[in-house]
Amino acid sequence: MERKVELERKKAKLQALREEKERRRKEKEQKDLEEAKTGVTVEKDTRKDLDEMLSSLGVAPVSEVLSSLSSVTSVTSETSMQTPDASLAPTLNGQSIKVKKAQALSIVQVQVTNIQPKENVVYTKQTQTTSSGTHHELRDAHATDYYVLTFGDAQGDDEDHSLSHLDHGGFHSKLPPGILPHGLPTVKEVAPAITPQEYKKDDMKIAKELSEEQKQMIILSEDFQRFVLKSGKVMERALSEVVDIYTDYIGGSESDEGLDEKSSARLSLNRVFYDDRWSKNRCVTSFDWSTHFPELMVASYHNNDEMPNEPDGVVVVWNTKYKKHTPEDVFHCQSAVMSTCFAKFHPNLILGGTYSGQIVLWDNRVQKRTPIQRTPLSSTAHTHPVYCLAMVGTQNTHNLISVSSDGRLCSWSLDMLSQPQDVLELQQKQTKPITVTCMSFLQDEINNFVLGSEDGYVHSASRHGNRPGIIETYEKHLGPVTGISTHQNQVSSDYSHLFLTSSIDWTIKLWSLKDTKPLYSFEDNSDYVMDVAWSPTHPSLFAAVDGSGRLDLWNLNQDTEVPTCSVVVEGAPALNRVSWTPSGLHVTIGDESGKIYVYDVADSIGVPKIDEWQRFGATLHDIKMNTNEDFEDIDKSASIPQQPASLTGTAVV
Amino acid sequence: MSQEVEETLKRIQQHKGVVGTIVVNNEGVAVKSTLDNTSTVQYAGLMGQLADKARSVVRDLDPSNDLTFLRIRSKKHEIMIAPDKDFIMIVIQNPTD
Repeated sequence: MERKVELERKKAKLQALREEKERRRKEKEQKDLEEAKTGVTVEKDTRKDLDEMLSSLGVAPVSEVLSSLSSVTSVTSETSMQTPDASLAPTLNGQSIKVKKAQALSIVQVQVTNIQPKENVVYTKQTQTTSSGTHHELRDAHATDYYVLTFGDAQGDDEDHSLSHLDHGGFHSKLPPGILPHGLPTVKEVAPAITPQEYKKDDMKIAKELSEEQKQMIILSEDFQRFVLKSGKVMERALSEVVDIYTDYIGGSESDEGLDEKSSARLSLNRVFYDDRWSKNRCVTSFDWSTHFPELMVASYHNNDEMPNEPDGVVVVWNTKYKKHTPEDVFHCQSAVMSTCFAKFHPNLILGGTYSGQIVLWDNRVQKRTPIQRTPLSSTAHTHPVYCLAMVGTQNTHNLISVSSDGRLCSWSLDMLSQPQDVLELQQKQTKPITVTCMSFLQDEINNFVLGSEDGYVHSASRHGNRPGIIETYEKHLGPVTGISTHQNQVSSDYSHLFLTSSIDWTIKLWSLKDTKPLYSFEDNSDYVMDVAWSPTHPSLFAAVDGSGRLDLWNLNQDTEVPTCSVVVEGAPALNRVSWTPSGLHVTIGDESGKIYVYDVADSIGVPKIDEWQRFGATLHDIKMNTNEDFEDIDKSASIPQQPASLTGTAVV
Repeated sequence: MSQEVEETLKRIQQHKGVVGTIVVNNEGVAVKSTLDNTSTVQYAGLMGQLADKARSVVRDLDPSNDLTFLRIRSKKHEIMIAPDKDFIMIVIQNPTD
């Protein structure tokens, strides 16, 4: 009961409160209304007061002023402040004020609040998608498209009207790939591997648009040419290397037979050096071997009568190590090259003595084939063909020695080819110049050398000393001397006084410096003997070539009557020059048509046995004895022609 | 001099077993080629990449080292690549026997 009473009381109280509230609200409304009305009236009143005040001061009322002048530059600041933006101000009434108020409230506030959050969301969302969006489908999209896409995505839920001015055509289709990798972190691992490739492909596509002109520019550039020449050589070597690393040894035993064959052939053709353009129809005039690179051989060539437009003189560097058939380097000059040699202590320089008398210098580092230096054609130097060229001396003091066919010997410093350091006239009996055809320095000598001449005489001479010039004149060949070679080998005992000459009189003669008569005359050839060369490793072995295409190897320890082995080059070309490789296991010969043949010498012939030097001493002794006997024979019966006795029996003992 | 270049390339091309010769610049563009256009572009692009990769491998193993030559032996061909600073020479060869 009590509760009921209390409840009743509370209800009454609540009712009372409500009524109170209602009353207050009504009062407030009333008040507001009144206030609004009074506000206007007050305004009107103040305006009236103002007008009155103004008129009392003798000024026109505000309304008049404002209507007559559209500008707001009235004297009183209050009026202008009260009606700041409208020219309608003087005719204000309650209604117009109300309309004005409603406009200001509704529009301005809404727009301000809407724009603010939109931008914040865009930026955070964008960074997120970029980091995960390495999926390369997205990469292809344009940057702007990409931006629009994510922007739309971000705003899609919040605001619809903000998208109305944006183009979001591909929005729905592109959204899934942009979002999917976001949930799969493993995709990130794959992505970087793809991207560089993609970049590269792009680069290629751009670069592929090289025009023909640009290509031509590259081809003509020095870099390109240097590259092709350099890499071309390497490539050729690689190409001609025919080693098959997949040889199947289980198959057959062909290789064994090949070996047997090879060992049985004492002299076998290894290869031919020939260049259709540079060596065709050109007589090989000389050889030399590089001291720095034993596999390199330089050969000089005479002119080619069939090709008058090509340079007369050509020098070609051949490589015997690789099986490529093309020259390592080609050099040329205006005059036929009669002699050539490597500058012993400069691996890059090659010297040539020309028919005109000039000595020319080529450098294989320079990208040109013409000489980088040449000696003058003047009376101070050579004016006749230079048939002989040699480098003598040591690393620090060395000279180039050249002899021309008028008997003038010049020594040069490679640093100064403008004039010779020293000039020596080689004359017979102080008057008659010697027409030198060949020259050879004694081994390890810089002073003494031997000469062969056109009239068949052989001379020894020296550069320095009391009487520089011809020292001794030896008995003569019956024809011009074509080649001369001094003994090369001094391993155990000294044979350096020995030298060989070849001549057009069909003979090869063995000489000693100590004797003006020849020690021996080899008369097995039946044609001009064009050149002769001692083996660089074997004391009693020498090679000789003749005009009928025959290459002979003579081992004096085995036989002095007939060559140890002999081969006729295919086609029997006239052979002009012969030379040993520094190893003594190959013989190179040059013919008159520009071919150079490399023959392998079997080890049984080319490699000296231990007792070879001793036996050579004995052989020499026998030779001397026999020649003496011969002379005695000749003395006894002068009409009998010289008939050298067989030495075979005694030599082998 | 450009004549010499032509000579060299001709000599290589005439070598027994050589199928094609391509010179590629460092951008992977064939400057000279004896193959048809499609194969040239393919070889130039792929071999350029391979040479670059091989070079980086060699250099990574030893920074003072550098790639000088690359030979690829396959069942059908042998591909030889001579790389340089600015250019790469590619020669495709058939086995000689």
